Formats: sequence, structure tokens, C-alpha cells
Amino acid sequence: MSETYPAPASDHDADETDEIDLVTAVNQTLDQEMARNDSVRLMGYDIGPIGGVYRATEGLLEEYGNERVIDTPLSENGIIGTAVGMAMAGERVVPEIQFMGFSYPAFGQIMYALVKMYDRTGGDIEVPLTVRMAYGGGVKALEYHQESTEAYYLHTPGIRVVCPSTPYQAKGLLTASIRHDDPVLFMEPKKIYRGGSQPVPTEEYTLPLDAARLVREGEDVTVLTWGAMVRHAVAASETVDADVEVVDIRSLSPLDVETILESVKKTGRCVVVHEARRTLGLGAELSALVNEYALDRLKAPVKRATGYDVHFPSHDIEDDYLPDEERAQYAIEAVMNYEF
Amino acid sequence: MVEWTERRPPEGEYRMLDADGQLDGDPPELDDDELLAMYRTMVATRTLEDKMLNMQRSGEASLVARSRGEEATPLGCAAALAPDDWIFYTYRQNPALLYWEYPMAEIVAGDMGAEPQTVAEHLDTDEPDVNFSPDYTPVGVNTTNAVGMAMADKFNDNETVTMVFVGDGSTSEGSFHDAMNFAGVFEPPVVIVCQNNQWAISEPSHRQTGAETFAKKAEAYGVPHERVDGNDVFAVRETAEEAVERARNGDGPTFIECVTYRMEEHNTSDNPDVYRDDSEQRDEWEEKDPLARYETYLREEDVLDDDLADDVQADVDEQVSEAVAAAREVPDSEPERMFDYQIHDTPWNHAHQRAELEREQNGENPFTDFTGEGFDE
Repeated sequence: MSETYPAPASDHDADETDEIDLVTAVNQTLDQEMARNDSVRLMGYDIGPIGGVYRATEGLLEEYGNERVIDTPLSENGIIGTAVGMAMAGERVVPEIQFMGFSYPAFGQIMYALVKMYDRTGGDIEVPLTVRMAYGGGVKALEYHQESTEAYYLHTPGIRVVCPSTPYQAKGLLTASIRHDDPVLFMEPKKIYRGGSQPVPTEEYTLPLDAARLVREGEDVTVLTWGAMVRHAVAASETVDADVEVVDIRSLSPLDVETILESVKKTGRCVVVHEARRTLGLGAELSALVNEYALDRLKAPVKRATGYDVHFPSHDIEDDYLPDEERAQYAIEAVMNYEF
Repeated sequence: MVEWTERRPPEGEYRMLDADGQLDGDPPELDDDELLAMYRTMVATRTLEDKMLNMQRSGEASLVARSRGEEATPLGCAAALAPDDWIFYTYRQNPALLYWEYPMAEIVAGDMGAEPQTVAEHLDTDEPDVNFSPDYTPVGVNTTNAVGMAMADKFNDNETVTMVFVGDGSTSEGSFHDAMNFAGVFEPPVVIVCQNNQWAISEPSHRQTGAETFAKKAEAYGVPHERVDGNDVFAVRETAEEAVERARNGDGPTFIECVTYRMEEHNTSDNPDVYRDDSEQRDEWEEKDPLARYETYLREEDVLDDDLADDVQADVDEQVSEAVAAAREVPDSEPERMFDYQIHDTPWNHAHQRAELEREQNGENPFTDFTGEGFDE
């Protein structure tokens, strides 16, 4: 499978780079952060000898031992609940939840303890957890292994939600997440874990957790997207008869509203592309923001090219559920052809 | 009217001081000051909670959950700890807080509904020697967090011990199961205390478990367990001290079921007359009152007499009055404080919504920004 990625941000002038894919960038980041800070500990199921279901933690148990790479009992709620307690004791814990669809048993600890501790203690107790979760479809997996249900967490204050779209982004954003004192839900697009490589600086670096990324400049229409959908948006933008601006949202919470509005005000048209179900997906909020604050600049209504409001379908038709280059293209063409 | 009937808990729990205040066996190795400190804590708890009940009835305080008749459990357990240890509590552990001199004014101010940062800014209080988690309302959640904290202490070779309180109802929650399971597997220095007062709001303990006792639950998790008379402060303390020592020595977790009885309502929003027929046990538990039992012992040992009891009560009354007065001085929070401590930065949505709130507070229309660039001043 060959995917081409947008080139790494030009502001990074690295002497040395490795040609690596996204999951390797995650692995390298975890390794570097654990080497840098003894309080960084990984917790999760199957993260030890087997190195994680996607091998994101491969080799780390051998290097750091079982008190820093902690295989736990099979309980997402137990993983998050004990990780919160460890963080309260000053540790910088990076739990892995194998699939976003497996995060629901942990909903209690996430909602009651993780996102609320900083607020309910008046800022006394920080919980610097980075919860890694593989999300998204297109890998012919079983039920609950393809979910994009970030909306549950975006509706919740007290936690950042971050999603990389390339190996370079993954390393910089994950490093920043682990070092940040807020809880971060780090969504890893499993479809492109091994979807392609790009040069990634060997040294450590961080990327901002509160800024969207301009992937491609254009004058006619803005496409707002993130994660595994960025590549489809970029591909579509190269085939349509329009000058398309692609914005990688990157920080799903909090949103970089300034960049989003600035782009849409410039182009006057907006398309959102996301894997999640449409109703009350992040696209709904993006559309609402554009309508509230840029209505008089719009040349067309906002369109959302998304998954449908159904349970994620079986293998045979999952590609028909997921947005792709073609669906993004249709949405772009539709708003381009619209006349008030 | 349909009411729950009670099932008497099985006999056989560990006891040192019987309901008549008579000691079975050797007296605990506690000097008079320590004996009186525990007595004072029980008196202070009752006095404070009665005062808060009055404040609730007059509309000054929010919900009040009293621990009357259960004081020996949180007190005896907390007294087993040492400075720098941690306590994860819920809402019926005031004796644990007061034993470690958690600022009484903060308890009152919190119950009067103040934001924690406003309380911190307006009350000049000292930190207790033992660390307290925030109180937990969603039950069971604290257990998993406490086990996690103890895991960190184990990994870091700290000598700190973490103690966590749950009720009988909490043991039905998934987070309790997860905590016990992780405690059994990782063997961290944690003491998990079940304050079994036999009622979780309107449901009796026999609706929480089919197990004969709550202590037995620990067996399946591979966690050592004890079952004690929760109204006998000596038995509770001795058991907790052994558990704390084991934890500190690297011998892992202990689960302690303290059998007691909820004499009062769940909290001030509750009316137990609607759902419980307590004729089976109530009189008996009145007889087993932990304070009366303990006071009898202290008087028989000449540690306490009428004059000293009066002095303690007068001292406590003054402390409660001062705490209430201080709490009453805490002003309502500035409304925009609700945006504090969500995350470490002020993202666009917070800045914008905070500006909207300020406009609304000033009698200005908050919905006049149509560009996202802020409000024209």
C-alpha cells in the first residue's frame, strides 16, 4: 500500500531523519519520552512481550522493565482508574486502550476521575495522562474495532483530544501530549499506522496542541478534516476543478477556531470530512461555528462528508460507509456548484 | 407501603471492646493523650455534623451526610496511618478528616457550595499531615484511583500507604471490582476499608451481594481480609494498624470490612421511614453506639471524667463555631471562576464564552458577536 503524505512542516530543520511509518513514530516517541523522564510509564493490555496489538510498544518492555511497561488485567476501567491514581502520585502515565470502541468500559473513570480531578481540586491535583487509542475503520476488523466516537470525549471539558495524520505529526503531537500537564486523548489512525513512511526527525520535537495545520492553501473552498481522512481530502483537492484549502484540525479539543474561521472567511465555502457518524459529530460543531461567525462570507451552505448515522457496518460494505476521496470530491463539487 | 426488611449480618467479627465498654484482652498501647484525641474526634464529628444539619435546614448548607453511630470505623482506620500517607474518602468519613485536623472550616465551606479555589483563597488553613484526595461522590471510583496511587508508591519504593473508604453499596460498582482485582495482582501498599453500614440509600446490604459477608469478596481477588466490629474503635484501629504495617513492609493490600449501622438518613434529601423496617436491628445498634461504648471505657479507666468531658465539649463547640464563622465569610465565587482549572490554557471557546458570561452579568446582550473576533467595546 502506498500513501503519499504531505511533506513534513518546513519549519523543522532536522539534521537527521528516519524514514518511518506512523506506528513506528509512536513507538520511537514512547521510547524517547521514557528515556527522558523516569516517571513516564506505559499501561495497557498486551503492551508487554507482544508489544501491543499494533506493535506500538514493541521492544519497550525489554528496555524499561515491567514496572514501566505494565501489562494489566483485562479491564479498561481498571487501566484508566489506576493510571489516574498513579498520575495523582506524580507519575506521567501513558495508558493504551487497544481500540476506541473498547474505551466505553472506562467511561466511568474517564468522566468521574480523569477529566474532573483538576477542576474539583481547584487546580491542586493534575492528572497528566495521555490515553492512546487506535481509532477508525477500513481495516476489515471485528465490531467495535473500527469506531470513531471521539464526539463522546469532545463533549467533555477537562481533556484534550488530539489526532495526528502523518508520522511526523504523530511524533511531535505525542511528545507534546506526554509532556503536557492536561489529560490528553491521543487518537491514532490505525488505517494509516503502516500506510506510508516519511522522513521524521530522529531527535525529539514537539508540535503545538492547540493549533490546526494548513496542509494545502487554496482560495475557493476550505476542507476541514483530520487523521486518516486528511489524505483523502488532499487527494480530492488535486482532482476537483477548484482551488482547495485543506486544514488538518489536529487538535479536536480545544479547537483552533481562529484558523478555522480565517480559512472559511477567505474561501467562503466549507466542507467537513470525518469518519465519525454525522449527527453530533465534530462536523456539527464546525458547521455551527461557521454559521455563527462567518455566515455573511458564505457562498454556499456547509456540507459534511462523513460516516452515516448507523453502527459501523461489516467488512463487505465498510468501504461504502467510510468517506474517501470520491465522497470528499462530491462534497467539494456540490458547494462549488451551489448558488444562493 | 412496601419496606425492605433487614438481615442481621453474620456474627463473628473481631471485637475488643464490647457494647458495654468492657475490654476483652489486653488494653491497646495508647497513651491518655491519644485516647482523648480519639474521644475528641468523635465528639467533634457529632457536634460538627449536628451543626451542619441545622445549617442545611436553614438553607445555608447543601446536602449533609452524617456519620452518627459509624464514627469508630473511619476514626480507627485513619488513626492507623502516619504523616504523608493518603486517604481517599467519600462522604461519611468526617472522623478521618477531623482526626488528622483537616480544616473544619473547609468542610463547612465546601458543604455551603463554594468552589474549591474560592475556599482556598479565602480560608487561611494549614494542610493536614496526611494527604486527602478530594471527596468522591460517584461511589467506587476512588477505590481504583487509590490502588493506582499505591501502585506508583510500590514502583517508586516509597513507604507511603494509601487507605480508601467505600460503603457496602460501592462494592457493587465495577470500579470496586477493578480496584480489588488490580490490588490482588500488583500487591500495592493499599488498605481498602468497607464501611458496611448495611444501607446504601434505600437498599439493604443483602441487595448488594449474595456473599455471606463483604469481607469474603476479597478472597476471590487474592487480597487478605479482615472483618471487625465497626463500632469498636480499638478493634478497628488494631486491625487497620496491622494492615498498614503489612502494606508499609511491602506485604501488599488488605481489605477490611467494618460492620456498623446507618443510624440516620443517607443524607438530608432522604427519608428512611419510607423504605426501611429497622425494627430488627436498630435498638441493638443504639446499644452498640461507638461513642457511648468508648466513653464508658475511658471513664472506667479514669482517663475521662465529667469535668474533662465538659472541657472537651466546650473546646469542640468553640472550634465548630469558629469554623462556621470562617466558612460564612467565604464569599460566593465570581461567576467566571467556573472557567478555572478546566485545562491549563484558555482556548478560544472558553475565552469567548467567558466574555459572553461577563456581558450577561453586566446586563449586556452576549450574542452580538457575528464574526468570532470578539465584542465591540
